[in-house]
Amino acid sequence: MSQHPRFEELVLPHLDAGYNMARWLTRNVNDAEDVVQDACVRALTYVGALHGSDGKAWFLTIVRHAFYDWCRRNRPAEIAPDDGTAIDLAIDPAAMDPQQAALRGAESRMLADAVAELPLIFREVLILRELEELSYKEIARIADVPIGTVMSRLARARGLLQRSPLLHAAR
Amino acid sequence: MNCNEAGALVAAHADDELGGFRRHSIEKHLRSCAGCATKHQGVLALRARLRAEVPYFRAPPALHTRVRAMLADTHAVAPARPRLEPNRWRWLTGGALAGCTATVLAWVVGTAVIDWRANEDVAVEAVATHVRATLNNHLIEVASSDQHTVKPWLSARLDYSPPVQDLADEGFVLAGGRLDTLEKRPVATLVYRYRQHTIDVFVRPEAAHAPSSLRTVRGFNVAYATGAGMDWLAVSDVSADVLSTFVQRLARAAASQ
Ligand SMILES: [Zn+2]
Repeated sequence: MSQHPRFEELVLPHLDAGYNMARWLTRNVNDAEDVVQDACVRALTYVGALHGSDGKAWFLTIVRHAFYDWCRRNRPAEIAPDDGTAIDLAIDPAAMDPQQAALRGAESRMLADAVAELPLIFREVLILRELEELSYKEIARIADVPIGTVMSRLARARGLLQRSPLLHAAR
Repeated sequence: MNCNEAGALVAAHADDELGGFRRHSIEKHLRSCAGCATKHQGVLALRARLRAEVPYFRAPPALHTRVRAMLADTHAVAPARPRLEPNRWRWLTGGALAGCTATVLAWVVGTAVIDWRANEDVAVEAVATHVRATLNNHLIEVASSDQHTVKPWLSARLDYSPPVQDLADEGFVLAGGRLDTLEKRPVATLVYRYRQHTIDVFVRPEAAHAPSSLRTVRGFNVAYATGAGMDWLAVSDVSADVLSTFVQRLARAAASQ
């Protein structure tokens, strides 16, 4: 039996969600499109094995896998081996000159920049929670980590944003 | 509830993840504690700004077109089972397609772990065991491509001695082994790699009630053979014909040893 009807029913409605996630993870229009298309190829192949109807979380899981495969090939340095290393990758809020932040802020979307600068593992949980409005349980499943890790990464992401001069430059 | 307890729950409350008693307790605490209330407000305020100022990127029309074209394309190539033209799609999948299969399917199969308790079917239990090992990243306890390392390791931990062969010449590379439990008895699990796939082979003394020779359980193939007085039960996401040829080959090789 053709998988196309299932794909159209379960995956296509979530193309925006998949693209938004890929766009925030790759931070690039063209790379995001490639990642989502790769994810669609995979989703089409496996949609027959999807039981139940939670196509969104399932598709986002596949997008995330496609992204990490892409990332390993193109930007391996972004993949932190653990949360501690990821914190080291974060731009130290205190190190940024507030005046420079204000200057940058004048030309760009400040808070969006701060989000884009978050280390990958903090950025992905933040996007899933605040933009996709998914539950801890769904995020844990998609990111393949325990719920406790989702909570600690979210706390890190929020802490970094709240202390970012880019956030306050807008005020 | 004190500030320590509340502090750990403030974000979860802001994320609407608390129910019942804990939700009631923290709401009460927030009404009486300015410090925790400020933290809570901080999360809500950040959320409001994120949703107002951070763009949600919708799939551009060009991407819709690309995906539609892909659907039309695969439809024309193989309507029954979407198979992709290798050359055309290699740049997209980068050979990683197979690598992610287990994980993607594992996500789907998660419930199989619960199912087998209600169902004595050994194939279902074997798939659940395979998925659990994959999810926990616990596929291999003794890592070796040398059968003379894997076999003694397993034999020392079991009351039988499972035959172990390397079929690397045929593309099935022995990666190692581990101990599992199948139908409440310890069982030897041999782990093979075939291209980007992982194959688990459960080897145990021949049981009276053999499962059917080939099954699909929640997207995984399960193939079965007997030989050398053993049951050979292979679980993998490789194609059914490859898996069943492989497991028969293993059982025959063991029998002729
Ligand atoms: Zn308090």
